[in-house]
Amino acid sequence: MNPNPLTESTILDALRQVLDPEIGMNIVDLGLIYDVKIAGSEVRVAMTLTTAGCPMSESIRSGAEWALLNLEGVTTAHVELVFDPPWHPGMISQTAASPSTPTI
Amino acid sequence: MEAALPISAAPDVRTSQPKQVRATAPSVSLPLRFMLTGLVALFVAAGWIIAKPAILASYHYNQYVIAATHLVVLGFICTVVMGAMYQLVPVALETKLYSERLAKWQFVFHVVGFIGMVWMFNVWDMKQVGHFGSVLAVGVGLFVYNMARTLWRVPKWNFVATAITAALVWFSLTIFVGLCIAAAKCAYESTEGLAAADGVKEMITGLQLVAKVVSRFDAIGAMHAHAHLGVVGFFVLLIVGVSYRLIPMFMLTEVQSKRRAALSILLLNLGLAGSVVTILLRSPLKLMFAGIAVAGLAIFGWELRAMLRARKRPALDWGLKTFLVAVALLTPVCLLSLTLSWPGLPMNQFFSMLENVYGFLGLFGVVTLAILGMLHKILPFLVWFGVYSPHVGRAQLPLTSHMVSERAQAAGLATYLAALSIISVAVSCESELWVRVGGVFLFTSLMLFGYNAAKVFSHFRKPQIKPLPAAKPASP
Repeated sequence: MNPNPLTESTILDALRQVLDPEIGMNIVDLGLIYDVKIAGSEVRVAMTLTTAGCPMSESIRSGAEWALLNLEGVTTAHVELVFDPPWHPGMISQTAASPSTPTI
Repeated sequence: MEAALPISAAPDVRTSQPKQVRATAPSVSLPLRFMLTGLVALFVAAGWIIAKPAILASYHYNQYVIAATHLVVLGFICTVVMGAMYQLVPVALETKLYSERLAKWQFVFHVVGFIGMVWMFNVWDMKQVGHFGSVLAVGVGLFVYNMARTLWRVPKWNFVATAITAALVWFSLTIFVGLCIAAAKCAYESTEGLAAADGVKEMITGLQLVAKVVSRFDAIGAMHAHAHLGVVGFFVLLIVGVSYRLIPMFMLTEVQSKRRAALSILLLNLGLAGSVVTILLRSPLKLMFAGIAVAGLAIFGWELRAMLRARKRPALDWGLKTFLVAVALLTPVCLLSLTLSWPGLPMNQFFSMLENVYGFLGLFGVVTLAILGMLHKILPFLVWFGVYSPHVGRAQLPLTSHMVSERAQAAGLATYLAALSIISVAVSCESELWVRVGGVFLFTSLMLFGYNAAKVFSHFRKPQIKPLPAAKPASP
């Protein structure tokens, strides 16, 4: 049994490793993560993209899964792309949008 | 600082090498081949200005100016725009490109067509211009068909899709009018000897008929109408329409007024339609329609300003700065357009050369600079996508902004603006020497762009992949 149980905070920290290469912001601070569900060692994440036509959709989705699988205690990770509600810039976290935020 | 790892040494997290992932966009090699070909054409055009400054320092109705203009317009602008559209239209409109195979065939027709056309314009063999123009037109037909089928799949129609559709219609019309003008400049003395049964005679008789119709119009007016159809109808309309999608994507903002955006596109189309007819007929109503188009562009500027003010990404990178400078240069171009549309304007030497300045600033100041600005964004992204997308979440990867030299971008924009200023003044004064000096600045600016492009492409050879920090144990 894992002595350190998974929390939403650790999941989000892991997902922060996935960056949008053009914007230079991670997918959590961009407001792309809609929902996190933890069931034992299984993690389910519902996330969106800045546009449904994003050419990086599959690489970001699978990259997010890999980032979760790299976390100790996670054996199964499912990341689902959803587009309802559609993303808008108001979903970006205020700290991430500030000019002093480091980009990597 | 950690040393860059070769792509084969990328950290293998749990399983074998990740697969290349593809979504809505075509493979990166498709837009890249268009963009690289276009950039080669632009370098050749800049070199041509240095070698033969009379191209810009003399009135534009001669074979060399027409050849050089088609090199810029078809060789650089169209080639890059087509490549970018294959990549961006599916992204912007949330759909999928209809056929990548058709696009590859179109590339072949396009390259053969524009090289042959430029060459034949230069030696003024209009019959061969028509032949190579027909090859190019086949390519344009494939492009328009491919785009139309792509647009057909758009899930939610919007004003951006309308702008792209209108631009494709204007583009098709430009090619058609261009071919008609070429037909009007050919001689048909050999028609009599042809047999009626083989179809060639009928075709040539048809061309003669077209020539007869086109010859009713003033030759320079027809050329100007053709140029406006292409530059305003295809390039400027695309810049306006696509900005409403790309600026929000790049700047993390939203269109502030859809009504305003739609109105700008409507007015630009209306103004262009009227302008083309009135230019062709040399009508004094030209000013009114130029004013309508300018109003459309002013509303576009208004909406662009509103979008920028609402942005969540405060810092503007050099790609966006370059693009915005290009948009700002619409102001002098619009002022020149209104001046040159003034009824009863004397067609003296000064105003004739002002037409050259108008064309030069429109092509190099607005369209080319806007494309270069967007290429600062698109080229790194395409290369990043091709090299790094399979490694997302598995390794530390560079950002696209780390793939370029910002100093080279800034210096490139400064030298480009110096080139625009020097050449514009030199053209109005008909100074070949100063056009050549400006040409050297232009070439220098392009070299700086080329340096950055080479830096970006070096990631194909030497990817910068670092291992992720070790996984942390989950906190209580």
